[in-house]
Amino acid sequence: MSDRQGAGASTGVWAVMRPVQGQIRFAMVLAGLAAACALGALAVLAWAVAALLAEPGRWPWLPLGLAAALTVLAFVLRLSAFNQSHYAAFRLETRLRTDLAGHLARVPLGYVQQIGSGALTKVMMDDVKALHVFVADSTPLYARAYVSPVLTFVLLWWLDWRLALVATAVLAVGVAVVSLAMRGSGQMMQRYHAAGENVSKAVVEYVQAMPVVRTFDTGTTTFHRYQRALDAFMDVVLQWYRMAGFSSRLSVAILNPLPTLAVLVWLGGWLISHDTLDAATWLAVLLVGTGMAESLLPLMSLKHLVAKTQMSIHRIQEVMAEPELPEPDMVQAKFPKDASVRFEAVDFRYTADGELVLRDVSFDVPPGSVTALVGPSGAGKTTVARLIPRFWDVSAGRILVGGVDVRQMQPDVLMRHVAFVFQDTFLFADTIANNIRLGAEGATMDEVIAAARAAQAHEFIERLPQGYDTPVGERGVFLSGGQRQRITIARAILQNRPILVLDEATAFADPENEAALVAALSNLMRGKTVLMVAHRLSTIRDADQILVFDQGRLAERGRHGALVAQGGVYARLWNSYEQAQDWALMGARA
Amino acid sequence: MSIPDPGHRITPLRETWRQLMASARSRAPRLRASLIGLALAAIAQGLALACLMPLFQALIPRASWQAALPWLLAMTGLMLASTVIRWWAQGFDYRGDMVRNTHELRSELGAQLRRIPLEVLQDKRAGGVNATLLGNVDETLSYILTIANMMATALLTPVTVALAALYFDWRMGVVLLLVFPLLIPLYRWRRPAYGRGMRILADANERTSSDILEYAQGLPVLRATCCTGEKAQRLQASFTHLEKIQTIGQRKGAKPNLILATVMELAILLVVFLGAWFVAQGSLDIAVLAALMVIVVRFGEPLATFVLYSKVIDLIEAALGKIDALLAIEPLPQQASTGMPGEFSIGFIGVEFAYAGQPQSTLKGFSAQLPARRMSALVGPSGSGKTTVTRLLMRHADPQAGRVLIGGVDIRTLSPEQLNGLISVVFQDVYLFDDTILANIRMARPDASDEEVEAAARAAYCHEFITRLPEGYRTRVGDIGGRLSGGERQRISIARAMLKNAPIVVLDEPTAALDTESEVAVQRAIDALVRERTVIVIAHRLSTIAAADQILVIDEGRVVESGRHAELLAGNGRYARMWQAQQSVKHWRVGET
Repeated sequence: MSDRQGAGASTGVWAVMRPVQGQIRFAMVLAGLAAACALGALAVLAWAVAALLAEPGRWPWLPLGLAAALTVLAFVLRLSAFNQSHYAAFRLETRLRTDLAGHLARVPLGYVQQIGSGALTKVMMDDVKALHVFVADSTPLYARAYVSPVLTFVLLWWLDWRLALVATAVLAVGVAVVSLAMRGSGQMMQRYHAAGENVSKAVVEYVQAMPVVRTFDTGTTTFHRYQRALDAFMDVVLQWYRMAGFSSRLSVAILNPLPTLAVLVWLGGWLISHDTLDAATWLAVLLVGTGMAESLLPLMSLKHLVAKTQMSIHRIQEVMAEPELPEPDMVQAKFPKDASVRFEAVDFRYTADGELVLRDVSFDVPPGSVTALVGPSGAGKTTVARLIPRFWDVSAGRILVGGVDVRQMQPDVLMRHVAFVFQDTFLFADTIANNIRLGAEGATMDEVIAAARAAQAHEFIERLPQGYDTPVGERGVFLSGGQRQRITIARAILQNRPILVLDEATAFADPENEAALVAALSNLMRGKTVLMVAHRLSTIRDADQILVFDQGRLAERGRHGALVAQGGVYARLWNSYEQAQDWALMGARA
Repeated sequence: MSIPDPGHRITPLRETWRQLMASARSRAPRLRASLIGLALAAIAQGLALACLMPLFQALIPRASWQAALPWLLAMTGLMLASTVIRWWAQGFDYRGDMVRNTHELRSELGAQLRRIPLEVLQDKRAGGVNATLLGNVDETLSYILTIANMMATALLTPVTVALAALYFDWRMGVVLLLVFPLLIPLYRWRRPAYGRGMRILADANERTSSDILEYAQGLPVLRATCCTGEKAQRLQASFTHLEKIQTIGQRKGAKPNLILATVMELAILLVVFLGAWFVAQGSLDIAVLAALMVIVVRFGEPLATFVLYSKVIDLIEAALGKIDALLAIEPLPQQASTGMPGEFSIGFIGVEFAYAGQPQSTLKGFSAQLPARRMSALVGPSGSGKTTVTRLLMRHADPQAGRVLIGGVDIRTLSPEQLNGLISVVFQDVYLFDDTILANIRMARPDASDEEVEAAARAAYCHEFITRLPEGYRTRVGDIGGRLSGGERQRISIARAMLKNAPIVVLDEPTAALDTESEVAVQRAIDALVRERTVIVIAHRLSTIAAADQILVIDEGRVVESGRHAELLAGNGRYARMWQAQQSVKHWRVGET
């Protein structure tokens, strides 16, 4: 069938299978053998009939026994083929997921955040799973679809060339109609799947946003959007049916056994009545040849599967194509000398052709000092904080930690030198003790408890049903935002790394817990080099150095008093901060 | 993919048929005709094949073209009839009936989602199921005719042949009739096992999925703590576990399949063996046996395909069941109207409320009066029931006891449209649609003119930043993606509320997630919004609500204190303690240890 066009579309499919290629080939060979055995069983049945015709009084036990044996053998082979292809598919899933997980650990973290953990999980879970149908179910069918007609043709030719030709003619007509049905189907399928994805998106939006949306217009607007996506989808499907409906219906009508049977019976019957064919041969042809065209039918649905799989493969390959952060080799890797941080003329842009997010940023953070990064949203302060752990690499200039370019350090050396407390506190579905111990695996329980005490977390942890062994997360205990934050602070305290980067660590605390959080942070920061991104400007009034960012540039630097007096960006921020703090809703009396 | 429910049992055939016809709605007669057509086509096919018996008798051992010709013509005619009828029946698919039908069904399911109580919708599990249903129902149902055709050719055709064979040789006919129905008990026997395997596999998949999500979400932390290796091991263990489950599932699942298929295939061979035995005995015409052989060896294929596709039947049954269940959810009952409220005070009288499936009540005898055109604040620890109060006001669900009144009118007597028209909400999370800014604001009042939208945007302090966007109000939110700051998004949502111009405003932590600078702008927008309205505000930062006309301190589903800020401070109770805790933190500075 339309093989060339099919090959073009399926290179991706075969390429992604490479890790399990051997096993898949083996499965296909088994499937081919199974097809041969099944055909063999039919052939010996024909032999049995011939024997009966020749000697009607004798039960032809040998061919009948052989037929039974071949039938069982064909099934065992077929089953093994499917088993092999399934095992290979499972192995491929594990392999691809492992590769993806490893790859994600080495690409810029910014990429992970940009794509989003939800979307990446979808690729690693659903898209990888989507390969299964093709790899596991289709590969044996492919083998059969090719082996079966060829062997049948050979056998038919050997039996009677005239009947072989007409059977093949039916097959050829069927194939011609199939390729007619498939013409332009690649493009059509793309449109179909695109429309389908739009429907999925509209569904998710519709269902998720409904609580919010219903309060506006009982959901009329979103309902229309949902409806529009459904309409577009229906249009595509209807158009597809109009385009290919006739020929695909026709191809199924031709390739099913009835037409083959009809021509073989008509021609055979005529030949027999004119004594140019003997009954035994005719029956053999009927037994063997009727299913010739039928084995091609699965190819049609396979084509559909390949197109569907293609989109998943594309997404997987897209993730795998993201370049990894370069690492220095072990010999050249360097170690930081002290707890200083230094930016030298750093430029940064997210994409090669994107806008500069940071321009010519240079500053020095001496060991043991506290530096605050402030600025309006979008000024680049968070980017600065995230460049230190190499969420991305700089576009120009360099970042030195302990006097060494971060790119010349092994990632784990860098990480052992710098601790991070992020705005979104992430706890793993594990016990509290293990969550604190993360990154300091050798720590004893006493050390864990000491860290928790310093982070003002010990008290509430003790009150939990299983204390430090209480699991957190989905199936564990529910912790408030402030409690979670204190656990991450305990983690950082236990890690005890000389440099500390705080990314809006106090942003989301609930008021009841704020006092405890503040105490915890104070303990954490003691004696460290600290860089903190801060919104709550009152907290940083005593910082050794305040770096004020504006539109990607380092606009001002100095201590609080001097900056306020300067009357620049910082002074403006400070004013609006004070104003926001004093805001009180006046409601009807405003 | 949807999974059969736990405790999966086989839906009775008649129930499935009823659900199927219900799902086809106005096209039910056509669907029924198509299904009957497929059955007729299968029977005609069986009859065509049966013609081979007399035909072979005419040609074997001595060929007579004259005797054969009528049967040849009959066979060909029946084949044509079968093809034509099937062609027509499949028209339900190909003429687009099925597509139109699932389209309408999805629209109706979507419309139903708008009617059912929001509480049901917000149940996370149900929400996921509904999304899956709306997303997949068309794919699942589009298999109906294909499956029906398979069932017909796998079952009806052989039975027809068997019945015809009775005429030529009753023994062969009886054997065939015994063999083919064998499939049904075999098939029924293996289906529950299949359901079990699916469930175990679904659990393993779910576990891996959540482990991957955890890994992806935790990557920054994992990398910062150098644990990618160690944690990747944990992830690896999850992958290995999944592969093991899959492999076991394949082995166990394949066995019954193998037995089933082999039994069927051997049963066909048994027919042949028996026939050969009768021929050898001289009690059966070899022509009849030969014809039956040619016929029955073709039966294996459709049967095997049918067994392979049997899981799709499960999916169809599950989907039909879920459609039924979703359509059966009743909207909240509407009581007889007593007219629209004349003023917009809000009253909660002895409200008891527990979320579905939760043993503990969230609100326990909650009573409060919120005066019209005044601001009332709800404060209290998380989980105390503040948000539930606002949800009940918006009628996400009805309380189990007590009443919620607006201007003295029970909200259960108002239609959803009327109630929604009275209340604007500003949430902490803003949901913007992938559409233009203009459309995003206008959704609050679809008939508003461009000028009105712009006026609302100005009032909500959005106009300025919107006009700076590449295409102004026509900029698509999706195109600029993350470039809108939290404050800007929040101001758009306030513009929506402005445009809606409802007399009651609910503010649920509207500034919690914003940075300082945006906060000032959002605050100004909110000040504009709440003027002259009845306001309910939930805020953590107590200074925000210090000026409220009434502060309700809620704990464990009850009002424990109420009054103005100064009164509550003087009362030295719970509110006073919360206030003091917040004030002390305000003065913390780094370096002060």
